[in-house]
Amino acid sequence: MLLTELLRMRVVEVDGTEVGRVVDARFRIDAQGGARLVGLIVSPHTRAPFLGYERAALDEPLVLDRFLRWLHRGSFLVDWPDVRRLDDDGLHLREGYERRPSTLP
Amino acid sequence: MKRLFAVALGILTAIGGFVDIGDLVTNAVVGSRFGLGLAWVTVLGVVGICLYANMSGRVAAVSGRATFEIIRERLGARAGMANLAASFLINLMTMTAEIGGVALVFQLVTGIDPLLWVPLAAFGVWIVVWRAKFSALENATGLLGLSLIVFAVAVFLLQPDWGHLGMQLIPRIPESESGSTYWYYAIALFGAAMTPYEVFFFSSGGIEEGWTVKDLGQTRANVLVGFPLGGILSIAIAACATLVLLPQAIDVTSLSQVVLPVVQAGGTIAFGFVVVGIAAATFGAALETTLSSGYTLAQYFGWSWGKFRRPARAARFHLIMLIGLVIAVLVLLTGVDPIAVTEFSVVFSAIALPLTYIPILIVANDRQYMGRHVNGKLVNALGLVFLVVIVAASVAAIPLMIITGAGQ
Repeated sequence: MLLTELLRMRVVEVDGTEVGRVVDARFRIDAQGGARLVGLIVSPHTRAPFLGYERAALDEPLVLDRFLRWLHRGSFLVDWPDVRRLDDDGLHLREGYERRPSTLP
Repeated sequence: MKRLFAVALGILTAIGGFVDIGDLVTNAVVGSRFGLGLAWVTVLGVVGICLYANMSGRVAAVSGRATFEIIRERLGARAGMANLAASFLINLMTMTAEIGGVALVFQLVTGIDPLLWVPLAAFGVWIVVWRAKFSALENATGLLGLSLIVFAVAVFLLQPDWGHLGMQLIPRIPESESGSTYWYYAIALFGAAMTPYEVFFFSSGGIEEGWTVKDLGQTRANVLVGFPLGGILSIAIAACATLVLLPQAIDVTSLSQVVLPVVQAGGTIAFGFVVVGIAAATFGAALETTLSSGYTLAQYFGWSWGKFRRPARAARFHLIMLIGLVIAVLVLLTGVDPIAVTEFSVVFSAIALPLTYIPILIVANDRQYMGRHVNGKLVNALGLVFLVVIVAASVAAIPLMIITGAGQ
């Protein structure tokens, strides 16, 4: 599977409610220098990229910062194990999945 | 002393390098139709290019990343690709206009059809890009481009009624023109002054020359002194057209009308200067746009790039430039009017402005890249004001192009 197939995919809960679109993927660099997928960033209102404003440290210029945060309001991180399956319908989340904060330091 | 010389050289090449075929043609057209009533746009454009070229130069010097590497990193692969496609095509259009401009200068001197000069001009650009050292090509064309000062000299030689000329600086729409053509040409002038390739070239050039934080002062001087002086040359071109072409209702349809006021003012000697100046300015800009075509594509795809590498070490970068030149030649050989290509290229540049400038503004604020060299409050405030202007010009350009029939 390619990451580009996941990006922009619809994200649905068990009962079929659409909760947003995949806008980004989050990785962790392990001790060997390899990248491991932590989870996916889901944004309810937009498919636009974060342009770097997923990090709390980037907050200037204020107008752009506010605009992008508003665009991505309600976005969250779901851990990869919380993904139940993928099909043409989109990405299905497990029951009782956890919405983790999407902001990086 | 050596340092002072380097600063002076940088400033001089920035002056000569600021003016290209887009500035020459657009300023002459605007002067011949609107007088100096649009000179304020050139001033605005110069402030904008100073602000953003300086920002991109600072990002290049501090983070070691050129503009399109940033665009790719910030926008991601997909939006970055859309940006690349638009930027590359518009740069190709500008490159075509510049090579057409070189051919037009040769036509002016020899009387031989520009079509015959086009392949030769493109070959000249290719051989220089392939063989010459980066600093040599930048300095030679920049310094020779200074001959364009003859436009400013011509304004004095034409002995204008200064009071009358000064009054023209007040923004107003002439009775013979409509509001929509006025704003269409305002956008064209703005696009000509802020052409994105200047930023691609400036930031990539910084990496070619190995800028570091220590060079920030010098790059700032180059931009903040050189570009405004280049802007004064642009206004002088418009002033010449205002004094000679406007009263006689002469349309600018080729380079001969652009140089007419200079020749009328200073005769053969002035003609010599203006020909050298335009040849250097268009040839220099042809080199810059050709390099920019390689820079943008290679930086997006992560290929090795740069003139500091031998062609075999940056093969795709050099190949792209060659392909770009071939396309430009083929377009010109269809017999399109290079002046018309130029007029379209500046407007399309204006449309593409947000694509280049928004990512620069964002990264210039990012401490991960910039450390303590992030934008200050004032630069950000100005940057945002210009962002609004840039987006407004970009959005208005196509509707105005349709309404006015491309400025007719």
